[in-house]
Amino acid sequence: MDIQLFEHHPIIGYRFIPGLKARLEHEGGGYLVRVNDAGFRSEREFVKEKGDKFRILLFGDSFTAGDGVSNKFRYSDLLESLIPGIEIYNFALPGSGTDQHYLTWREIAKEYEHDLVVIAAQVENIRRVAARHRMSITASGEHVLLAKPYFDLGPDGSLTLKNVPVRKEPLKEEDLPEEDREFVDQGGRMLWLRQLVNKMGGPVKEMAQKLSNYQPLPEYDNAEGREWQLMKAILKHWTAEIEKPVVIMPVPLYHYVEETASADGYRARFAELEDWKGATLFDPLPGYYAVPKQERRGFRFEKDLHPTPAHHRFLAESLAKVLQNFTGTSAEVATAK
Amino acid sequence: MSATILGISAFYHDSAAAIVRDGEIIAAAQEERFSRKKHDPRFPRKAVNYCLSEAFIEADELDAVVFYDHPLLTLDRVLKSILSAAPRTEDQWLKASRSILGTKLFVEDYIKDILKTDVKVYFTEHHASHAASAFYPSPFEEAAILTFDGVGEWATTTLGYGEGERMKLLKEIDYPHSLGLLYSAFTYFTGFKVNSGEYKLMGLAPYGEPVYADIIRDKLIDIKPDGSFRLNKEYFGYLDTDRMTNDRFAELFGGPARTPESGITRREMNLAASVQNVTEEIVLKTAHYLRGLTGKKHIVMAGGVALNCVANGMLQREKIFDGVWIQPAAGDAGGAIGGALLAAYQKFGAKREMNPTGRDTQRGSYLGPAFSSNQVRAFLDRQSYPYTRVEDKQEWADTIGEALADGKVVGYLAGRMEFGPRALGGRSILGDPRRAETQATMNLKIKYRESFRPFAPSVLIEKTAEYFDLDEESPYMLLVAPVKEERRLAMDLDKFRGGDDDLLEVVNKPRSDIPAVTHVDYSARVQTVHPDDNPDYYAVIKAFEKITGYGVVVNTSFNVRGEPIVCTPQDAYRCFMRTGMDLLVLEDCLLWKNDQPEGEKDESWKTEYELD
Repeated sequence: MDIQLFEHHPIIGYRFIPGLKARLEHEGGGYLVRVNDAGFRSEREFVKEKGDKFRILLFGDSFTAGDGVSNKFRYSDLLESLIPGIEIYNFALPGSGTDQHYLTWREIAKEYEHDLVVIAAQVENIRRVAARHRMSITASGEHVLLAKPYFDLGPDGSLTLKNVPVRKEPLKEEDLPEEDREFVDQGGRMLWLRQLVNKMGGPVKEMAQKLSNYQPLPEYDNAEGREWQLMKAILKHWTAEIEKPVVIMPVPLYHYVEETASADGYRARFAELEDWKGATLFDPLPGYYAVPKQERRGFRFEKDLHPTPAHHRFLAESLAKVLQNFTGTSAEVATAK
Repeated sequence: MSATILGISAFYHDSAAAIVRDGEIIAAAQEERFSRKKHDPRFPRKAVNYCLSEAFIEADELDAVVFYDHPLLTLDRVLKSILSAAPRTEDQWLKASRSILGTKLFVEDYIKDILKTDVKVYFTEHHASHAASAFYPSPFEEAAILTFDGVGEWATTTLGYGEGERMKLLKEIDYPHSLGLLYSAFTYFTGFKVNSGEYKLMGLAPYGEPVYADIIRDKLIDIKPDGSFRLNKEYFGYLDTDRMTNDRFAELFGGPARTPESGITRREMNLAASVQNVTEEIVLKTAHYLRGLTGKKHIVMAGGVALNCVANGMLQREKIFDGVWIQPAAGDAGGAIGGALLAAYQKFGAKREMNPTGRDTQRGSYLGPAFSSNQVRAFLDRQSYPYTRVEDKQEWADTIGEALADGKVVGYLAGRMEFGPRALGGRSILGDPRRAETQATMNLKIKYRESFRPFAPSVLIEKTAEYFDLDEESPYMLLVAPVKEERRLAMDLDKFRGGDDDLLEVVNKPRSDIPAVTHVDYSARVQTVHPDDNPDYYAVIKAFEKITGYGVVVNTSFNVRGEPIVCTPQDAYRCFMRTGMDLLVLEDCLLWKNDQPEGEKDESWKTEYELD
């Protein structure tokens, strides 16, 4: 039984099925997923009014939602044990882009009182914001295309939401309108090669990476490129709407963590956000370099590139140091258990 | 000491997993339901995953994993048996060694590799697992225990007793002498599939006469007064070939085995009746002996032979014991529950808590996954399948009851999936038992299976005596009981008795005012429905009764022939669209066939599932 995890959402595209409780088979031994009534992976129900705790709203994709690990091993959940007096509402949605995170904020999250917003922009999101459809695998293992919402960037910097209400039914690639065919997110470049290499497992994948010097995200190389301009505009509009402080954290892919691809492009682009009013950029990449290379290899699973529990622990400890500046907690950050 | 234990049965047929916490069964499921491969024998990784999901624990929170039999003892039996008939058994050795050396001996590595944890793995003995699965969930503080199956390590039959947390096996009959293998030999010889067609043979028995019973007793099996027996090895093929019977066996019964899927003749009907007759004799004699041996007032049973509900019904009516309880997953799958319970009580010191209502602790055998209305709607909405959501429970039950009363056939998925081979109102196809044509329609247009196969009734517990001569509850459809005399209709069977083998002719004859669930011998395989076990299903039957005056419906498993019973809403929808069902119930969502999108008639089940 391969369980269906998501339900259709007319604006965001999809979300976790509210109230779902499941264990998913995985090369790491399997992991537990609990979804609250709001439709997000969480051990607690979300409450609109804030209590005494410093509340952080967190947005991101599968890296933040915790694909491959149980809720309690995610960096969001570990942070709560690292910094006393905080609570984190994790609104992350696997497979989504920053555009959908922004929509999650607009449609659902902004109603929840909060003190801080953290936007975890996994660097691949640049490709997802430019996409109109995304390749998805159904519960029965079938590859289908699902429509997603997207923004059109106007010459004046305005954003126009398109593709909503999002179509419910899956599509086959050949059924896509001609004009949409170049806007399909296949999950990266060189789809067939990646699939083949992933199937063959760890050592082959590493060798292929070394030999090909594969650069996963050339979209960041051009500051004026369409994708980055769109991504930046989304972040700009979003941070402008948030009345509380915002932390933007680009989350690196393993190629950058393991230094098999150059991170210069994406780091340069995100550095452009450093001066934004009310927003703090936290680039965790330099922190990774302090960890021995061998240990960094353990930050992803053998086949699955998602963060392992060790990687989540690393992210939690890195981010905790930044968050303390906002929480007012002077206590020394404990080591995550 | 609190302990959570995972039980596993695998590598023979019907692999399964179960999880038990402090002696309480939390979840259990067969791998076939998830893998969609009938009787799947592979390591039950999906069933294990489900059990951990239901308990909602990490693998490293398990205190132990228990495998339901002992691979080394099995290897011992296989080696000795094969050596005794060598060199004719070379092929058998190759097959057996692949299974045992290839998987069973390395089960510990398997578990650790899949769960990525260093949990301690224990091994029990096969029949101890069966015995534990029968005794611990039963409603009896103490009871005699009887297990019968094909073969475990060496044992094929065991007799013992249980008291509180203790269990002791006193006697056993060893391979190759096996009642299970005798029954399977006839299953094979009558053209059905071994380890799955036994219940078909049982269903065929009432059409025949036990004319071969004396030959079986004279030539094939020596039955002692205490029920113990020895098979005459000269007639069986399973010792030295990959066939169950040999040429001498065929000579005894007038020619070669029936070719699978060919017409069923009077010979097969009579063979079925004959081996059934012999089986009942052994069960009753053994039960008598066991009563004297243990002095216990109640009996519990497990092992594949305990699925013979005709023999069970006879045992219940004979009143050798005051009470009979049979593990609903009596076959090897149930070994997963048994192994885990055995470890819970005998290794981890769990205290046995009896059900305060006096009923069992098997929880209606609703031990599998459930799907919330949110999950169902997520699936239906994503596909844009038209449905009506009926949140009011009474209105929901009334709608289904009305459909049934109107002669509609209803696919029904609600609540947790059953553990064991029977659908009990969690994953069922329901129909109106009053209609003479229901049996043939459901067999041929919905289940696509042999026309002679009978359907079972689900009856409101308090109305049981109005329909059947049954004075005990039968929540697991494991007892066959006579339909009340006053409900029966005389049947003109002269043509059939005169030698016409047309089973359909007999099937279509009205036999009672509930013909669809009345077998040709006026018996029925009864499921009594208790509101504590399944309030929703109870409400549906109650609604049907409100309209028709009949507190009983037809209940058959939700699948087509050769397909494992459906598990998920997706499985159910697929099966619904492939068959002539009229209404599909997926929790509180109702789907009418006529509203569904027109598609090509889906015949793919015929190639997708190997016929059983």
